[in-house]
Amino acid sequence: MKRINILVGALSIPLFVVAWEVIARSGIVNAVLFPPPSVVAVALVEWVRSGQFFLDLGASLYRVVTGFVVGAALGIALGVLTGQFALVSSLLSPLFHILRPIPPIAFVPIVILWFGLSETGKLFLVVWGVFFTVWLSTHIGVQKVDRGLIRAAQMLGTPRRQMLQEIVLLGALPYIVVGLRTAISISFYTLVAAELAGAFAGIVYRIEIAQQNLQTGQVMGGLAALGLMSFVADRLFAAVAERTVWWR
Amino acid sequence: MKQMVHRSEPALALAHPQPSLEGERAAARTIISVADLSIVFDTPQGQVIAVDRVTFSVAHGEFVCIVGPSGCGKSTVLNTIAGLETPYSGAVTVDGRPMQRPRPDVGMVFQQPHLFPWKSVRKNIAHGPRMLGKSRSEARAIADGLIEMIGLNRFADAYPHTLSGGMQQRVAIARALANQPRVLLMDEPFGALDAQTRSVMQDSLLELRERIDATVVFVTHDIDEAILLADRVLIMSAGPGRILRDLGVDLPRPRSNAIMLDPAYLALKKDCLDLIRSEGRRAFDQSSAG
Ligand SMILES: Nc1ncnc2c1ncn2[C@@H]1O[C@H](COP(=O)(O)OP(=O)(O)OP(=O)(O)O)[C@@H](O)[C@H]1O
Ligand SMILES: [Mg+2]
Repeated sequence: MKRINILVGALSIPLFVVAWEVIARSGIVNAVLFPPPSVVAVALVEWVRSGQFFLDLGASLYRVVTGFVVGAALGIALGVLTGQFALVSSLLSPLFHILRPIPPIAFVPIVILWFGLSETGKLFLVVWGVFFTVWLSTHIGVQKVDRGLIRAAQMLGTPRRQMLQEIVLLGALPYIVVGLRTAISISFYTLVAAELAGAFAGIVYRIEIAQQNLQTGQVMGGLAALGLMSFVADRLFAAVAERTVWWR
Repeated sequence: MKQMVHRSEPALALAHPQPSLEGERAAARTIISVADLSIVFDTPQGQVIAVDRVTFSVAHGEFVCIVGPSGCGKSTVLNTIAGLETPYSGAVTVDGRPMQRPRPDVGMVFQQPHLFPWKSVRKNIAHGPRMLGKSRSEARAIADGLIEMIGLNRFADAYPHTLSGGMQQRVAIARALANQPRVLLMDEPFGALDAQTRSVMQDSLLELRERIDATVVFVTHDIDEAILLADRVLIMSAGPGRILRDLGVDLPRPRSNAIMLDPAYLALKKDCLDLIRSEGRRAFDQSSAG
């Protein structure tokens, strides 16, 4: 029973690729709009060989990683502050709650006005998207830290600073990690929006250029690369997260 | 390994076998003083008087149990002595200084162990000394001594969630002792344990207590537990909490669970139960009359 499941699972993707190849080559569909996997593979190989792939990958990775790190750092810092101090929360939380539901992609037009097609604008979009998710999960996590743990720490003479850095932050960590993981996919959404809005390199930028040239194979290759990037990022994070919440 | 728990201070009252002598010495050295303490909570339904003009004092080295029905304000009194709650009126002093916030010379063990889940047993116990500025190695030495004392050597590097409830509570006690508190407050520390573990824990607390120099205030609603452990039992009435009776327990030490068959023990227990029963009836009559 189990073995069959594993076997079928291993066949899932190859079967799909073969079916796609057969259908695309059979003439049932327009091969220009719907190229077979072999054509996509060739496009990918050429992309890599020309060296352009690594430039695109580098540009996109830079935006995602920098935006994620900055957004997450801001989100955690402000989440701890609003979660811990009622006054800071009264000041900032209403504002954040108003801004948070606006899809980050909707900020593309104004970001172009503010920053043009610069890197700053793209980073801004990613930071914006990541920030609110991480802020909210940190804020909630901090508020849900077991009161008993805080009291126990107080009784042991834990100074205020240590209380924030250690007890509150670690107590909230399981929530923060969940927020960070959601923020990874958000950082990719916002990356797509940022590069579609206009760029000079990047995986999504390359997809758009290929689309304009009707290089459908290249478009699909780009999609595959983007999917793979996002997948690897998520898996990497899951592995890191397991170690971050080490006491579980 | 025991020396870090002992203070290099004069005569611990517990070291003296005769209860009368102990009593006299103790009376001379009040360490906890609760004077006319009232605590009022603001709730959506209005103000609730949780504790109503409670007065008592505890002598250095004494083991005092507070018993009373659920909701009578035992935890509130204890939290106030801990500095976690501020008096509405009245005053609480420990060692002559008013308790305004938690202080390292007053340790607390709660009903739940509240161990830091991200720290090993050793690091949980070492937390207090680290916070008080002890070096890593000093704190570790203190922790290792206490781990030996609670008999958890094999679990020094284990994380709390891998321990049983009884073991976790032992770690919580060790953690509270690591700062060498002059006063140890315990709020139904064995309340969440099964009967068997509970009596084992009571015996090991009695044993522990022969070795440490701390004044203990122990909250419970189990009369047996109170008489077994205490030098004095304070019986509180149903809310708003008041002290009904201050009962000396003149049973010889060292004690163990075996004492529960002793006639003197049973006589004391009968006293307590009678008192609690008549108080219960009075409260019932009052509430049905009013
Ligand atoms: N933070 C609070 N806010 C409002 N009311 C409270 C608060 N803490 C305690 N009380 C009320 O004060 C009274 C005394 O509570 P307390 O927890 O001290 O009782 P207790 O004797 O420890 O009871 P138990 O044996 O169930 O632990 C109760 O009526 C409770 O509802
Ligand atoms: Mg209580």
